Amino acid sequence: MAHYELQRVTFHYPEQTSPALENVSLSLRSGQFIVLCGPSGSGKSTLLRLLKREVSPGGRMSGGILLDGTPIQDWPARGLAAHVGMVMQNPDNQLVVDTVEHELAFGMENFGLERDMMRRRMAELAGFFGLEPLLSRKTDELSGGQKQTVNLAAVLMLQPRILLLDEPLAQLDPLAARELMGMIKRLNEEWGITVVMSEHRIDDLLPLADRVVRMDGGRVAFDGDARAFVLEAWNREDNAWTSVLPSITRWALEQVPPEEHPAPSLPPLTVKEARAWLDLANRTRTLGQQSTAAPSVEGEGRGAAQKLLAAQELFFAYDKRSPAVLRGLEWQLRRGDWAVLFGGNGSGKSTLLQLLAGLRPPQRGIVLWEGKPLGKMNAKERYSSIGYLAQNPVLHYAHDSLLEDMIHAAGRAGETDPPQAARKMAERFGIEALLRRHPHDMSGGEQQLGALALTLLGKPSLLLLDEPTKGLDPSAKRILGEHLRHIHKEGTTLAMATHDVEFAAAYATRCSLLFHGEIVADGDPENFFRGNLFYATPMHRLLALEEATNR
Amino acid sequence: MTEGFGLRSLHPIVILTYYAGGITFGMLLFHPYILLAGWVAAVIVNLHLDGGREWRRWSLAMLVGILLIAIMNPILSHRGRTVWFYWGDIPITMESVVYGLTLAMSMLNLLTFFVTYRLVMTEQKFLFLFSRVSPKAALVAMMAMGLVPRLRRRMQELMLIQRTRGVTVAEGSLARRARNGTRLVGTLLSWTLEDALQTADSMQARGYGTGARSSYLGFKFRGRDGATIAGFTVCAALLLTAWANGHGFMAIYPRLGTFSLSWGDGLALAAYIAFLILPLGWEWRDRRAWLITNYSE
Repeated sequence: MAHYELQRVTFHYPEQTSPALENVSLSLRSGQFIVLCGPSGSGKSTLLRLLKREVSPGGRMSGGILLDGTPIQDWPARGLAAHVGMVMQNPDNQLVVDTVEHELAFGMENFGLERDMMRRRMAELAGFFGLEPLLSRKTDELSGGQKQTVNLAAVLMLQPRILLLDEPLAQLDPLAARELMGMIKRLNEEWGITVVMSEHRIDDLLPLADRVVRMDGGRVAFDGDARAFVLEAWNREDNAWTSVLPSITRWALEQVPPEEHPAPSLPPLTVKEARAWLDLANRTRTLGQQSTAAPSVEGEGRGAAQKLLAAQELFFAYDKRSPAVLRGLEWQLRRGDWAVLFGGNGSGKSTLLQLLAGLRPPQRGIVLWEGKPLGKMNAKERYSSIGYLAQNPVLHYAHDSLLEDMIHAAGRAGETDPPQAARKMAERFGIEALLRRHPHDMSGGEQQLGALALTLLGKPSLLLLDEPTKGLDPSAKRILGEHLRHIHKEGTTLAMATHDVEFAAAYATRCSLLFHGEIVADGDPENFFRGNLFYATPMHRLLALEEATNR
Repeated sequence: MTEGFGLRSLHPIVILTYYAGGITFGMLLFHPYILLAGWVAAVIVNLHLDGGREWRRWSLAMLVGILLIAIMNPILSHRGRTVWFYWGDIPITMESVVYGLTLAMSMLNLLTFFVTYRLVMTEQKFLFLFSRVSPKAALVAMMAMGLVPRLRRRMQELMLIQRTRGVTVAEGSLARRARNGTRLVGTLLSWTLEDALQTADSMQARGYGTGARSSYLGFKFRGRDGATIAGFTVCAALLLTAWANGHGFMAIYPRLGTFSLSWGDGLALAAYIAFLILPLGWEWRDRRAWLITNYSE
């Protein structure tokens, strides 16, 4: 029994010559967990939106989309809205009303349900998602993960048979993402809801997926189960494909390629399976330094490196009554560092970066810039020597086009020819084509690069980045990483807060862990990761387990 | 002391009746003694609901307001037969002084009473009443309430970051600050409107506009609500009868009458106070229930 039947669907956005989707034929069977992957702009979102008539983009479409055998344009409005639920990327923007309880009821109100029925469904789903303690809270006070859980529950109130999820995890931290993913999996397994989910980072999704569909340039490039996908990606030897694979899978396949393995059709997807894969191949595990080791710092005496920025005894609280976020924190950044700051959600990573950038003054303690108090520096000098890139790149734009923003920034940095400097910077980042665009019309990755270019126009000697890789697809992440490496090589000191352990492992020269308002671990990446099980790449986990068994 | 306890546990309709009645009667009656008694009752209600915290917060503003009324009335109004003295060449009459004081008393009474409205009539209850009148308008009100804190938080974030780029309202010439201010507001608005498109999608996706809406908000009309409404009706009937027969207010102009209460004034006073205090019966009842629960443990 097929739910959705796409028959040679081709879709053009208005005034676009090349199609966003080309000749897509898919049959989505009932009860499946389908993962939709592919680079940005490959048509994943367009496809999902075409499946949900209420949010379909305007444009020219040919071919047909059938839902349970009926073309979706012939479905009655209410039946269709209830049958197919959709959750999108941004947790904030999907919330309509002020309290959690209202938000959950919103869909049912639209359907004119009786109050008794509404209360019953509310009771059921609030129980399933553990939302009872949040019901009377304002949606605005919730964390990103909680907001997205509310969005999911609000959609399920209408008892859909199919759930379309458009990158629902991209804006969440790894812990919240994993929790939400667990719930989606339960909905699929226990309630039999069909799930179609698009996502960039599919490491944790592959083990759950019944089927993987990869889009490329508006076409279906792959359609099959997860292990077949891994083998296909591996055999293509194309970076765009292999970069999507879980790093543990990549590593295990590098150790023992499928052709040398006794069970080649079952490539590993998890740490556990990777161990089994190697055990079965009966090979001694040689954990190379190749991919985990950080690029060595250009032969400098680390101890002698000059202190650039030092935080001494920092205390900070947002409110007299709320608990302190930072409690006597000590941290130093040395010239030439590429420091990474880890820490749980709400542990104060962003706050610390803002304090170090001089955006907020600490209540106690002092930040020293080359030995001088940061607060005593002239504001303009301070903002130009310490660049700060916020988590949300949109915050950096204030003009109607990227070019205007960049010219303004170059002018402020004292360039003699701001337009020229702006163009040069855009060229360096490969974003010349975007200069005329409105910043809000650019994709997340483009906004991130643009904001980075804006910040660099001030020629900072220290750059602080808050979760720069959030919501980026693997290729955008790689581009960003290479740009940062270039900047670092040119002598800019970098410090970034992130949840992305693998990105940090690939680039950082130093890792620190923020916990309970203090730095509790600080060291070079190899030592740092070796001591951790949670803040560690899957490979380090494997290694740590190995050491534990050998002891 | 939350929802579901005492006065707060009553049905929104009952609460609306209580405040509508309390305010109307407070304005109809005009006798210093009655108003003073009404004020005491309002203070008692305040004390019961939150220990008078909210009332104390407003007390300074209220005091200034009523002092202003009490002082301005004799200066502006020269009605009345009994001239006490001349201030410059302005005659200050005893009647206008008494009238000013009574008016101030009346204001104080109404304000003190209304302070509790905010404590009892929560947004949920208000929206419940409102969605009966207009479901669409109630939804817009709810969305607006969700939007305001979001806008405020975004503005703070935006100002923090834009300061590093020199777009700030905290420094520079006035013209420059104004320009930067418009720029910040413009950015905030275009950012928010952009996001509003997604909100609209989310509403559509959940079937908004596919037909008549219902309202999830529900409050049960219980026995205690019926009893309270009945009590209100009796008090109001007595009070209005007395008032219609010319009781409950004092003759001040042109010549100050007697302060003493007639039997009709007494009836109005009793009915008024009974009306104000009546819902507190539930507070007492529920408090006792708590005491009993605590002792028996």
